[in-house]
Amino acid sequence: MHGPHPGGVPLAIERPDTASLVRQRLMANADDVDALFVLAALRAQEGYLEEGLTILDHVLRIDPRYPGAWRFKAKLHGMQGEAAAEQSARRRAEEMER
Amino acid sequence: MPLEVVKLKICMAGEGAVGKTSLIRRYVLDQYDDRYIATLGTKITKKSLTVANPAGSEPLQADVILWDIMGTSTVRELLKEAYYHGAQGILAVADLTRRDTLIALDEWARSIRSVAGDIPTYGVVNKADLERERALPPADVESFFRERGWPWSYASAKTGAGVHETFVGIVKHVLGSRA
Repeated sequence: MHGPHPGGVPLAIERPDTASLVRQRLMANADDVDALFVLAALRAQEGYLEEGLTILDHVLRIDPRYPGAWRFKAKLHGMQGEAAAEQSARRRAEEMER
Repeated sequence: MPLEVVKLKICMAGEGAVGKTSLIRRYVLDQYDDRYIATLGTKITKKSLTVANPAGSEPLQADVILWDIMGTSTVRELLKEAYYHGAQGILAVADLTRRDTLIALDEWARSIRSVAGDIPTYGVVNKADLERERALPPADVESFFRERGWPWSYASAKTGAGVHETFVGIVKHVLGSRA
């Protein structure tokens, strides 16, 4: 990645990797909903679906209207074969989107 | 007589640090910050604008809901249903100084359309103020968007140039596709 430089030569902008960014943000604020949402996704991607759901539930306690959270919750329940929970989360997502 | 109101969900698309958040910040708040702060999670911003109604004579009030998302691909596929469900338009952002960011828009559009269907896309090449560091030849930009049938514009979130036109452009493109 490049950014402006007075001499016209682009400088590389170091962008921390997502996991590092999440860690930094949570160290500053353990209830950072954005960082928690991404942490839920990272854990789910690593195969820890139950942990991802637990973190996601924490996000939704802090902000029940967090964009995309209910739909992501539905997805994770679906990945776990939990049809009823998936449908319930999907209904909440639709309510939020009205 | 009150205007007819339409709600539109527009998803920002584009690689990290192309300026998705900066474009929104400029358009909605008329502010710009040179510091790069990577977006984590999802940010929603709402903006109302009055536009011509392509299907009628009276203007419309478009209540635009802009979904700003992380530009990194780490968990993008896992989160795509959460992000893109119900999207009605894509604002695809490239960085004038990074060639790969234009090419990457195809994958972004594919990912969004796999969830939202064949929705209208508007392209914007941001950082137009950095002409001296241009990595995208004008002819390449024009042919890229022409081949895909995406209307597009140059913009600079830093100076504000082209920003209003970009957001009005995507709104008009979405409304025009529905008429």
